Amino acid sequence: MIKLTIDGKQIEVKEGTTVLEAAEQAGVYVPTLCHHPQLTPYGGCRLCMVDVEGARTLQPSCTLPASEGMVVNTKSQKVLDARKFVLTLIFSERNHFCMYCQVSDGDCELQNRAYDEGMTHWDLQPNWTPYEVDASHPFIVLDNNRCILCRRCVRACDELVGNSTLGFEGRGAKSFLVADYGIPPGESTCVSCGTCVQICPTGALIDRQSAYQGKETDVDHHISVCTECSIGCVRDVLTRDNRLVRIEGEWDAEPTHGLLCEFGRFLPLEEDRARVVTPLVRKDGSLKAATWDEALEAIAAGLGAGKGLAALGSTRLPAEALAYFKSLFADKLNADTVTSLEEGGATASLSKLADKLGKSFESSLDVLKATEAVLSLELDLVKDHQVAGFFIKRQLQEGTKLFVAGQEDNALAKNAKGVLPLKPGSEAILLVKLVDAVENGTDDPDLAPVVEALKSAEKPVIVYGKTFAANADEIALDALLKLADLTGAALVGVKGNANSMAAAQLGLEAAFKPENASAAFIILGDEAPTAKLTKALEEVPFVVALSAYESQLTGGADVVLPVAMWAEESGSYLSMDGRLQKAIKSLDAPEGVLTTLETLEKVAGALKAQPDQGWKASLMARIPTIQIQEA
Amino acid sequence: MTKPTVASDWLCGCAGCHMSLLDIDERILQVVELVDLRATPITDLKEPDKTGVTVGILEGGINNTYNEEVAKRMRERCKILVALGDCAVFGGVPAMRNFVGVESALQRAYIDAESVDAGGLIPADPELAQMTRVRAVSEIVPVDVFIPGCPPDADVIFYALAELAQGRIPEIKNDKLHWH
Repeated sequence: MIKLTIDGKQIEVKEGTTVLEAAEQAGVYVPTLCHHPQLTPYGGCRLCMVDVEGARTLQPSCTLPASEGMVVNTKSQKVLDARKFVLTLIFSERNHFCMYCQVSDGDCELQNRAYDEGMTHWDLQPNWTPYEVDASHPFIVLDNNRCILCRRCVRACDELVGNSTLGFEGRGAKSFLVADYGIPPGESTCVSCGTCVQICPTGALIDRQSAYQGKETDVDHHISVCTECSIGCVRDVLTRDNRLVRIEGEWDAEPTHGLLCEFGRFLPLEEDRARVVTPLVRKDGSLKAATWDEALEAIAAGLGAGKGLAALGSTRLPAEALAYFKSLFADKLNADTVTSLEEGGATASLSKLADKLGKSFESSLDVLKATEAVLSLELDLVKDHQVAGFFIKRQLQEGTKLFVAGQEDNALAKNAKGVLPLKPGSEAILLVKLVDAVENGTDDPDLAPVVEALKSAEKPVIVYGKTFAANADEIALDALLKLADLTGAALVGVKGNANSMAAAQLGLEAAFKPENASAAFIILGDEAPTAKLTKALEEVPFVVALSAYESQLTGGADVVLPVAMWAEESGSYLSMDGRLQKAIKSLDAPEGVLTTLETLEKVAGALKAQPDQGWKASLMARIPTIQIQEA
Repeated sequence: MTKPTVASDWLCGCAGCHMSLLDIDERILQVVELVDLRATPITDLKEPDKTGVTVGILEGGINNTYNEEVAKRMRERCKILVALGDCAVFGGVPAMRNFVGVESALQRAYIDAESVDAGGLIPADPELAQMTRVRAVSEIVPVDVFIPGCPPDADVIFYALAELAQGRIPEIKNDKLHWH
């Protein structure tokens, strides 16, 4: 421990603590701009300068390690003058016009720091050289006029996302933020995760969806889990007047600490499908608006029970709705098939393995954050479950070795140390070969480096996706377990949609056979139906669809009931690593549109069935592939 | 004791800061009780007394040689010079002209504008003031008190006037500090 004095307060801190962190622990506020808790200290803006007794000049507290007996003053006149001077230089370096902006108050960190220092004015004029604004990117606008060269965005792109798209060209005052080697951001390697926009302290990087739409202090915040995939990133949904304004990552929240991908951050605001706002019933061959009573009567008359009835629910639905759905159709109506829209593809083989072993065998996503070797089996973390891909990519420059086994079009392959071609169906062959190579050595030039990396790494990780889960047979899975056992590798299964694992725990994993169905009950929620499902349902004589949006599937259904979309209902989600998290309602549904659970309760009432309400118990009734914990 | 005297003038601004001054409503009677309001652009007397005033207030930035003269005259004739509003403090919206320069601004206004017919002419009478880069008042003469805002709040203006009337220098900070 190190003892030091900050503004007269004695404090003891751990070795390696910076003066800025020590000040924070002592309850002393030191203003910063380039610093961000999620990033490595940089010392670029000089706003955090402090007076250290015995030091020749002021020192940047963010990069200065605390040392024994240090006496620090953060409020000397010299420090206060330096802060104003630093801010004056920053303001005059580019073209900052927050002074004339009606809506910037409270939104801009640069402006807030200047207010904190009581700056009524500064003595230097702006640059008066206009810089081009680039709006080539679909979601992000880059405005070098407002850039303070703090490089938070560059460091975030590099350290947190591992994409290294952003960088600077030029030197000194002529440094400019660029994408790749100076190409328009819209044509760059950017993956649209938006971390740079969220971390920018000024308006140099803004998102097109929410910019210039009023003050940020003037919105409602809803801290909620993302429902776009099974990772379960925690995000803040910002709304104003029942309208989505923006989505941001929560820096302090597990498991991804503020990271989101384009699916979680930007695409929900691009939703342009037409809403289903009233019950629809097919009359004389065409769908017509109907009352709830008419629609429920039509369902009761056409659905039947038991044989020939198939029920499918989206894995984007809250666990409460999925459990109720299962109880209604499996326990009360004895439907032939009760499953999820994923039909267990992402989970069934793994759930079975957990049953066989009698215990959980997977590890949490966290193991991907610090590992020396990763073997990825049949999944493309650039395409989906992107944040898991960020965890891998950001470690590659630290020397983590990535090996990719899968189809040739896998986008992660270009970052890999080695690629093992793997066609669906041949999982067992590859894994058995790998096990043999670990046990007996190998001359195979493809396998040798994989084996070497897995064996030498302290905590190697084998991560697999839904293609693997759907195709791996018992031999493949046994080989996988053995490989993990031999190399000490942690197994991470990314699964499918947001509640893929909840569906697995409820046993909603059967395959849907449309040819055997005389009636089908489909809960799409806000999921866009696949062409395959739409086609399959064409064969089914009577189809009920619960959907937030119109689609070809709802167009072909016999009864359609409107339901809430993701932002309009609260509920629980079980992430790929067993984290039970809450999604919080952030918007009111259109008049007359109910949540999925409320809609199902109406249906149950019409069918005179009384499903069980104990959703949590039914979620825990089965051995999970990874321990479930309430977050 | 004689009351402190106050004079104001406007330069390259929109008169909005003076409107905001009037927005202190009936409190102006309290101000007048404490100070002797001399020349302002909205009263009969337009120029500050040659004998000098205690407080001079300038709204607007400096965008031509005439503004320079007015600013210098006010500085010479007042003890405490107040820059009122963003244009006086920073240059303000008119300063965005600096991005294109005086020549192209004139060209746009008097020749290229859609409302100008074929006989467009840039005014060049030697009697006219010469346009310059738009500057903050403090770039021409020293300023003692800065009250930013576009316009500054009436409450902030009242606070500043009340302080100045009682011989104190107002401190514009915390809740009173807003740039717009």
